[in-house]
This record gives sequence, structure tokens and C-alpha cells, in this order.
Amino acid sequence: MHILAWALQILFVPLLAPLGVGIINKIKAKVQRRQGAGLLQPYRDIRKLLHKDEVISEDASFIFNIAPYIVFGITLIVGASVPLFTSVIHLPSSDLITVVLLLATGTFFLALAGMDTGSSFGGFGSSREMTLSALVEGLFIASILVLVILHRTTNLYLIAGSVHLDYADLIAVALAGVSFFIVLLAETNRFPFDNVDTHLELTMIHEAMLLEYSGKKLALMEWASANKLIIFAAMLVNLYFPVGLASNLQFGTIALAITIFIAKLLVVYVAIAVLESVIAKLRFFRLPGLLFTAFILCLIAIGLVK
Amino acid sequence: MTRKYIPTRFSSVDHGNIATFEVQPSEILTVFGELLSNDKLEFKLIEATDESSDQAGFVIWYIFGVPGDNSFIAAYIKVQDGVFPSVASLHPGATNYERKIQSLFGLKVDGIADERPLLLHQNWPKGLYPLRKDFDYEKRPAVAANSYVFNHVGGEGIYEISVGPIHAGIIEPGHFRFSVAGEEIMLLEPKLGYTHKGSEKLLERLGLEQKLKLSEKISGDSSFSHSLAFVGAVEELAGINVPRRAEYLRTVYAELERLANHLGDIGFIMLDASYNFGGAQGARLRERLMQINDHLSGSRFLRNVNVYGGVSKDISPEQSHELIKDLTSIAKDLGQVIAVAENSVTLMGRLKGAGTLPRKVADDLGIMGLAGRAVGIKSDTRVDYPYGAYDEVVLKHIALETGGDVYARFSVRIKEVHSSIELILSALKSMPAGPICAQQSTELILRKNSLAISSVEGWRGEIIYFIRTDSRGEICRVAVRDPSMVNWQALPYAGFRQMVPDFPLINKSFNMSYSGNDL
Repeated sequence: MHILAWALQILFVPLLAPLGVGIINKIKAKVQRRQGAGLLQPYRDIRKLLHKDEVISEDASFIFNIAPYIVFGITLIVGASVPLFTSVIHLPSSDLITVVLLLATGTFFLALAGMDTGSSFGGFGSSREMTLSALVEGLFIASILVLVILHRTTNLYLIAGSVHLDYADLIAVALAGVSFFIVLLAETNRFPFDNVDTHLELTMIHEAMLLEYSGKKLALMEWASANKLIIFAAMLVNLYFPVGLASNLQFGTIALAITIFIAKLLVVYVAIAVLESVIAKLRFFRLPGLLFTAFILCLIAIGLVK
Repeated sequence: MTRKYIPTRFSSVDHGNIATFEVQPSEILTVFGELLSNDKLEFKLIEATDESSDQAGFVIWYIFGVPGDNSFIAAYIKVQDGVFPSVASLHPGATNYERKIQSLFGLKVDGIADERPLLLHQNWPKGLYPLRKDFDYEKRPAVAANSYVFNHVGGEGIYEISVGPIHAGIIEPGHFRFSVAGEEIMLLEPKLGYTHKGSEKLLERLGLEQKLKLSEKISGDSSFSHSLAFVGAVEELAGINVPRRAEYLRTVYAELERLANHLGDIGFIMLDASYNFGGAQGARLRERLMQINDHLSGSRFLRNVNVYGGVSKDISPEQSHELIKDLTSIAKDLGQVIAVAENSVTLMGRLKGAGTLPRKVADDLGIMGLAGRAVGIKSDTRVDYPYGAYDEVVLKHIALETGGDVYARFSVRIKEVHSSIELILSALKSMPAGPICAQQSTELILRKNSLAISSVEGWRGEIIYFIRTDSRGEICRVAVRDPSMVNWQALPYAGFRQMVPDFPLINKSFNMSYSGNDL
């Protein structure tokens, strides 16, 4: 059972991540009264890309070639490190600081790869990504800091596993949860920060960095960003609403915990899809304002913690 | 009638709705200035004709309109030694016409501000001028390797982004060169001409029927308006009286075309601000119009509807009834969509204040159509030069905004959707019975050695066709002026000091035609 739980913990993120993207796209299509592509379309896209040859710019250096493996690999490690359906098993990397550091490393390589071929789109994609990351990273830490202060630990599993909370602390956790949701939107290139569906090169952030990629490496990049979405969603629902995580590794408990986890993820996905259907993207220079508002929420939350 | 606007020292000749008079090249600056300062007149365009077969050499036409009267006056000069003076110092909007003449006719413009060729690219050999009569149309020119120099912004930290001509979406090709400081656009230079198809040359060579078909393809989304302007000029030269019912039907079709495009653009503007709800609704509403067009005419783009002397498709009483019902529901539908959109803080935050075109620039360049009305320039061909049935089916209010930003252009479109629907409903109600096309016994016979101008308010703005016939009554020059040719010049000003990620939205709010500009 232990091995099975570990296998699930490691494979859950990469196997189910594309489905999450499919679900968001399907809901968005339905809200726009379109039929939309099937739920499994992201899997088909990845399979298609994995079968394709690549076109690589003559100006690309080794960075361009290794970045997809690094970015994808990091999402695998982080995916296995964050609490998903149980708070019992954990890796040495299941630590807040480590996770933030790993994700930042992924972003760093992504931005390097964007600039590597010297195309103008990649350049401004990277520039925008770094501008945002510099702001989002701080908010990321601040919103988790509330939990760290509350639980006196940076271990994600201990945070997710603790259930005894003061009633007054719930407000602090809720406020921090809202600002973490904003972090999620920024880190996973969602509205109002970025639009993954656009064809307008000049407005892109994340996609602009991927424009030079094709075939297998593009598949890895796309897969990695799907992984990132599920990782952030899992952190949101399990750290700020740690309900229903399995506290032992019995088969029945895990099955129930997985069901609850998926239900919680669905809530996040529906929220993202609805948000993307009802608001427009913010002007780029307005984004720091939004992040700053979220930061103030975190400060209030920290002040509320006893 | 129009003679009173012509300086008395000149004797003029009438050609239908246009009075012409010859000016010596040395005098043209003075005369152009006189005409320009007459506030009863409006500068329209500058065109050239190669009349070497009639021993007149190259002739440059300076055409002014008389608003409220559907008539025009044209001063012309005969070019001597292949050089003529630039009038751009009096009206900056003249520059592009002069550049076009310089590129396509090979006539040197004395004192032109921008020497670079228009429409023809670096791979076009120097010294080969396609609109000259001695140009060998059948022979493919050799590929040349000339250079084109973009304007350059100096200083530290300026980064040049070159975008296009191939884009990620399904749009027309155009190249944009941005010089940016961070995200701020310091200079934006469009380079167009990628869809140059030699349309004006083809319009000289094809048969009359094919000419009409080609006019529908000058700019695909304005098929009806372009062919309407073209047949209008030919009918004027052939002296055909178009039956009243046909004039009414043309008015209805022209407004349907405007509706389809405006509804589509309203959606696309919202989509480009990443407002998915609005984008989806716009696409849905546009599709309803396209299906109505298809149902009425058998063509989603209203092609093959205009014929010489009238139209080919009538609207039956049942169809008319149906159309009234559909349009009333579309007006209500759009009202609901816009009510939701106007309530979206994020959408309004994107549209308001983005891409503001200064009024002064718009006046200097002669920006027209909806882009002009969005900065408060009150002009509309349907009112100023009433054609078709617009003299009886009157546009009551010209849609005006003063902001000049993306939101103003968005709002002008919404107002025009409602006024178009009103126009169609009133045209359908008062439509006279009768034939839909003038009877023609023989082939069209055009006035010899004459010219005609026809002006139509397409959905972007004023579409002008200038047709010249030679001494045998053959069409020897068709000059096409899509409003895009003028309005493209506004884009660098609207984009100045804006952010790069806002540019697609600003560009979409103008939505100019590449094909109509490139010809």
C-alpha cells in the first residue's frame, strides 16, 4: 500500500494535469455557448507534438535545448513534493522554501530559453515574465508566510496535516488564501495576467517565450505548464482548506481522499474558467496594483494571527 | 452649379457630376491652396493618369468634393519633364497620394517629404512603373534587391521589435516596426504592400463584367460597397438611370454589409481585450447577419448583387417581413450584450484611454469614416454626397464621439449599428415598386474622353472610384481609394507612447484593410 501511495503521489500530477486544462477549456467553451474540444484534447495535443519533428533556430544555444527538460523535471519534483491526497508521506523537498526555490528556477530557465534564440517576441516575453515574477515571488512567500507563522513550520505536509485551528485564525487563512489564488493566476498565466488562448503575439507573456519551440520540446513545455496549474491548485486547496486528506494509507481512506481532492480541484478549475469568461485581461501596468492589493491582504492576515 | 467654386480666371469643362479645369504646374500650389481654404470644399484625392496615347502625357488630378451636393471639381496639371510639385506642405494628407504616384507612375515629386516607395517593395526593380501604359504587363519583372530604410530611434535602451508580415492569427499580412523603451512605443512604423495584386492595372485591362467582379475583391469585407462605388462611376459615364427600387435595394444591402462588419468588430475589439463573453457574442451576431446576407443574395459577402444598372437580387415582401423581424431582434440582442459589456470594469479599463488619436492629427491627415467620427469629425458620405436612396432614406444622426480612443471607435460602431438598422427598416417600408435593373439593349457606351467619380460610405469610411475614359470611350484608368489608404497613417499617432501589449487592441479598433490599401 505504501508503494502504491508513493506511485500515486508521483504520477498524479503529470497524468492528470492535462485533464485539468481540458476541463477549464471545456467550461469556457460552454459558457461562450460553443461546443469546445473534448476533455482529452490536451492529451491528444501532447501526443501529437511528441510525434513531431522539431525546428530549432540556428542561433539556439544548449540552454534552448535543455530548458524544457529542466522546466518539466522541476514540475515533476514539485508535483511529487506538495501534499495531494494525503498528509502522511513526504519528500525532503516538501518544504515551502524549497518549493518556491524550485519553481523560481523553472521560471528562470524558461525566461532564459525565451531570450536564447534572440527573437524579439521571446525577448519581451521573458522581460514581462521576469517583471511579474519578481513581484509574484514575494507575494507567494507572503501568502504562505501566514500559514508558516500559524503552524510554526515550513513543512508543507505538517501544514496540510494540522486540523486544529482557532476560529479567529480562519479569517487570516481565508485572506491569505485569496492572495494565494492571485498568485496562482499569475504563476499559471491565467486572467487577468495573461491569456493562454490568444493568437496576438504582442500581448503574450508565457506563450511568447515558447514561440520558438516545436515538436517534443514544445510538448514538454506545454505539459509542464499544465503540471504547474495542478500544483498551484493543489497547494491552494490543501494548504488553505486542509479537509479530507488521508491521515493513513488504508486503501479506502486513500480512495476517499482522492475523490475529495479531485472535487476540490474542480472547484478551483470552475472558478478559473468562470473568471476567464467574465473579465477582461488587465492592462500590463495595472498588474502590480493587483499584486500589491493581494500583498496588503497578506499583511492583514499576518496581523490577525495570534 | 459647381463652377462657382472654381477660380474665375479658369475656364472649366463639365463631365456629369464633375467640373474640371487645367492649371499650369507652376500655379498648382496657389490653386490647391485656394481650393483648400474654401470651406465649402473638401479635399478628396490626388490621382494620376497616363494619357500618352491621347498625346497629353501624364496628368495629375487634384479632386475636391462639394459636400451636400454629390458633385466634385478637379484641377489638373499636365506633367512636364516627369516632375510635378508636392502640395504636401499645404495638406500633409497629400503625401501618400504623391508617394503612390511616384512609385507606380515614376513621376518625380518635387519637395516630397518621404522619398520611399509606397506599395512596391525592395524586390521590385527600379525604373519599372506598372501603371504606365508602356509597362509590359505580360512579362514577369526580374527580382531586385533594393533596400528599404525604416526610421530609427536613437538612444540607450531602445529595442526594435519587428512584427509580421506573417502573423499568428488569420489576418492579412503587414509589417510593423516598433521602437520601444521598455513596453512603451516610441515609434511605430507600418510597412504595407504585401497584398499588392496590381488591381488598378487589372481594372484597366479586364472586360467590363470582370472589372465589376474584381471591384468586389478589392477589399473582401467591403465587397458590396466597393462594387457599388465602381458601378456608380460606370453608370455615370454610361448615362444609365438606375431604377428607384434598385437604389433602395442597394441602400439596404450596403447597410447590411456595414452591420455585419460592425457587429464582427464590436466582438473582436472585446475579444482582443481578452473579454471572452463579448468576443463570443460578437461572433454570434455577425454570423446572424452573414446568414441573412446569404439568405437574401446567395452570398455571405453580398457578391454578384451589384450589376450595371441596378441589382440582381430583389427582396420579396416575405423576405422583407422576415428581415424586419430579424433586425429588430438583433438590435435588442446587441443592446443586451453591450449593457453587460459596459458594466465590466476590466473591459472598460482596457478600452478607455487606449490608443487616443489627437484631433489635430486627424484633421491634418484627413482621417475619415468611423475613425474620423470617433474624434468628432462630422462627415459621412451618406449625408454629404447622398447616393443610392440616401436622399430619401436619410441618416438622421451622424454617429459622433469625441474621445478618439479605442472606446470611442467601439461606441461609434455601436451607434452605427442602430442607425443602420433604422435606415434598413425605413428603406424597406418606403421601398417603391418597379424594376430592379435598368433595361439595356446593347453594350454599355461610355462618354468619350471623360471622367467620373463615385463616392460611397463603406463601413470603414469613404470609398472613392475615379474612372477616366480615353478618346475611344474605353476605360483607361480606374483609381481606387479605400479609406484604409488614408487611415493607416493615423495608426503611428494612435500608438505613440502606448504599451506594446495594447497595440493589437488599438489596431483592431481601426481594423483597416490591407488589401484595400495595397491594391
